[in-house]
Amino acid sequence: MIRKLAGWGLTLAVCAVSAGAAEPAAEVHIPFEKYKLKNGMRVVLSRDSSVPVIAVYLLYDVGSRSEEQGRTGFAHLFEHMMFEGSANIKKGGHFGFVEGNGGQMNGSTHPDYTDYYETMPSNRLALALWLESDRMRSLDISAENLKNQQEAVKQERRLSFDNQPYNTAIVDRWPAMAFSNFQSSHSLIGSFEDLNAASVDDVKNFFRTYYAPNNAVLSIAGDFQIAEAKKLVEDYFGDIPAQAQPKRPDMTEAVREKGKTETVQDPHARVPGLIVGWPGPKRHTPEWYALYMLDALLTSGESSRLRLNMIKGKQSLLQYQTNLGWPFAGPQDYKEPGQYAAFLVYKPNFKGEEVLGQFQDEIDKIVKEGIPAKELERVKSVLRYSKVDGLQTSLSRAQLLAQFEALDGKPEMIDEDFTNLFTVTSAQIQAAAGKYLGAERRDVMYIQPAPAAEGKQ
Amino acid sequence: MKQRILTAFLLAAGLAQAQSLDRTKAPASPPPRPYKLPPTFETKLPNGLTIVLAEDARVPMITARLAFVAGNKKDPKDIPGLAGSLASMLTQGTKTRTYKQLAEELDTIGAAITAVTSADALTINGSSLSADAPRLIELMADVARNATFPAEELTLHVQNRRQSVTLQRGQPAYLANEEFRKRIYGDHPYAHVGPTMGAIDKVDQQALGTFRDTWMVPNNAYLILVGKFPARAEIMRLITARFGSWQQKQMPAAESRKVPEPTRQIVIVDRPGSVQADVRIGRVAVSQTDQDYFPELMGSTIEGGGAHSRLFEDIREKRGFAYDAHTEPAAFAEGGVYAVVTQIRNDVVGEALEAVLGHMKQLTAEAVTKEELADAKNSVNGFYLLRLEPQSGLANQLVTIKVMGLPKDYLETYTTKVNSVEPEQIQAAAKKYMGPENAAIVVVGDASKISEQVGKLGKVEIVKANQ
Repeated sequence: MIRKLAGWGLTLAVCAVSAGAAEPAAEVHIPFEKYKLKNGMRVVLSRDSSVPVIAVYLLYDVGSRSEEQGRTGFAHLFEHMMFEGSANIKKGGHFGFVEGNGGQMNGSTHPDYTDYYETMPSNRLALALWLESDRMRSLDISAENLKNQQEAVKQERRLSFDNQPYNTAIVDRWPAMAFSNFQSSHSLIGSFEDLNAASVDDVKNFFRTYYAPNNAVLSIAGDFQIAEAKKLVEDYFGDIPAQAQPKRPDMTEAVREKGKTETVQDPHARVPGLIVGWPGPKRHTPEWYALYMLDALLTSGESSRLRLNMIKGKQSLLQYQTNLGWPFAGPQDYKEPGQYAAFLVYKPNFKGEEVLGQFQDEIDKIVKEGIPAKELERVKSVLRYSKVDGLQTSLSRAQLLAQFEALDGKPEMIDEDFTNLFTVTSAQIQAAAGKYLGAERRDVMYIQPAPAAEGKQ
Repeated sequence: MKQRILTAFLLAAGLAQAQSLDRTKAPASPPPRPYKLPPTFETKLPNGLTIVLAEDARVPMITARLAFVAGNKKDPKDIPGLAGSLASMLTQGTKTRTYKQLAEELDTIGAAITAVTSADALTINGSSLSADAPRLIELMADVARNATFPAEELTLHVQNRRQSVTLQRGQPAYLANEEFRKRIYGDHPYAHVGPTMGAIDKVDQQALGTFRDTWMVPNNAYLILVGKFPARAEIMRLITARFGSWQQKQMPAAESRKVPEPTRQIVIVDRPGSVQADVRIGRVAVSQTDQDYFPELMGSTIEGGGAHSRLFEDIREKRGFAYDAHTEPAAFAEGGVYAVVTQIRNDVVGEALEAVLGHMKQLTAEAVTKEELADAKNSVNGFYLLRLEPQSGLANQLVTIKVMGLPKDYLETYTTKVNSVEPEQIQAAAKKYMGPENAAIVVVGDASKISEQVGKLGKVEIVKANQ
């Protein structure tokens, strides 16, 4: 949960179990209070004093899908700039204040938002708020800092993508296939060319437009007193001026009936993989919950269908990641339009088409036969447990509350999402899978180990 | 009207407060609120199984660990990775349950059981909602005592393990760890981060059974439960019912094995097409029971324990050689390892390696400053607290105490031990374990692009990746 690096930025989901492991069980109710400052900043507070720690989480409503043509990777580059100092905190000082006072921190860029957090011993609440408010108020944007972070981001691109198997296909190629609108189809990490082209003025404009209090959600979870936290939040953030509400880009996708297929050669891959995805229904509609549940049936738990039928059974599959919102989001944190997608790594003695066919068969079987009641109950138990487990830390609660506030204006979704999911019936899953996950609508990308790499084994 | 005046008044009050706030300095913090660990109760069954119960009623779930002092260090010489295979196979079928039955029974209560290995332990991890604790304990006992390693599941395991090693070897970090450990540990079982292909093929029912029957015995095991569970008498009754009849067994005497003396060696693992170089520099260091453990931990934190460390500030922030540079101390029971880890872009490999070695030298040559040490102490103590927030954090700490043979009051006295470290102790520990002398240097990268630069440090041995 706590990553070691600052500005780690991109988050590639690495767990095999489908996400959604985050909302609470019916037994666990997450209390919260929400309000708005005069400058428009939204605040969500959730108290739990069992361990003397706090999580301060700040979400800005801007992500890679807000970027303009020729500026790919800018949201992420900007995320790095947030650690470069502000009026009262010198360059790199943020790290020292957090870690030197017993905390952990990070920032990350997502398709639809950028977030920053500090988890600290609970007596450091004022310190965390001072740090976050100082950079929202007075970020130090200089040519030198920009140059430095352009290089850091390029290093990150080499480390996390260009030197790794599968990842360039996932970040650069897959979105270009799955989406036609530039806002969704461009690379989240961006190109070296675009990163080099960013100017100090671009950074200043971006800061003014998007890093304003009226474009942010602050959440605090853990061990604190509500009244005291409210006073501190007002003291530190209350007089940061609001800006004009940012213009949101048009993210509409052209309607299409047929999917595409592509093959990429990956010099770092040793084992073949494939990605398959479908345009999904609108979030939080009954159809969407039905696909959410279908994904859980396929992938959550030891007795899930992919595990029993493809890892065991046909013995073709090695690893998988699947999700609504894959690869850079989960069901709870993307804006429309979104996808349901799966990344499958399989044994070289199978052909990609075969493995894709097996995966499609699993879906088609559900469309045709529905889900036995016992199996549906079983997967609900798995979800019920994983949600209690996933909300144990202050940071996980702060994140989800802020994400639901930012994307849906409803922090209560931290409880309700779960309730809604549990009303899904077998018939709804059949209907939604039939409507959305047919073979003709899917996009497919095969990732083949490039010959040079194979020859080295 | 009245309301408007009131609002104006509040606004003014707010402004006055805001103005009185001194933003130029970090705000003062109130004293930390003390944290009292959940009380633990420890007992032993007649068969030697040690039981530790930590009652923590915050969340309606239970986290269980059944830990055996039997990790990779107990792997037979010709089958490195056997403990890992055993861990995977424990959940693939028992005398009374097929893999599928076990999986469905677990999912029916939403519970999870997985077994994992580390250098010094094989641990069965289980967790469930509190209401399902009796069933969880039953299934954990079945997995621990009755696994049968069915032939068809074993065949699949062997096939998939070969593929997963191939998959991992696509990642430069794995290649770097693999070569580095080999260089540090020589013939010691800690030399293996994963199995060799040849070893995977040697895993059979007999090898698994022998390892299990030798080391997975109650007198070598610790059952640790954290969470909200039934009253003491009831939980003990449940445990005794499932584990009481488990036969204790004499274990072979511990082999005395020595970790080799550190020597300087420079190795490039050639990975053509690499756009950066994955680096490990380090040597054998302390175990967690060693008196130098806390000084080494503090030195490691100052050198590379986060974004506020010497390496991060210099190698990444100031010089931009790498996205990340950090230290990794691992305090294994028979001899730990200390490493600097970084990934450097190809064109500055030589310079960056010099810089890293310079930092390692500095830690041995000069005492750390008071400010550095104060920050490092806060950092380590804070991280300790954050880790205890989820049940699994506390459960894993309790496992470490048992497996490493640490004193019972280890967690209660942790902060005191951290706070008592002095700069001279760090320098002394650095001289012994953290300096550049005799450190092994392993670089995974494109040899055609980096060997000349690396060669400036001395004689380089080049090995091929994926052999």
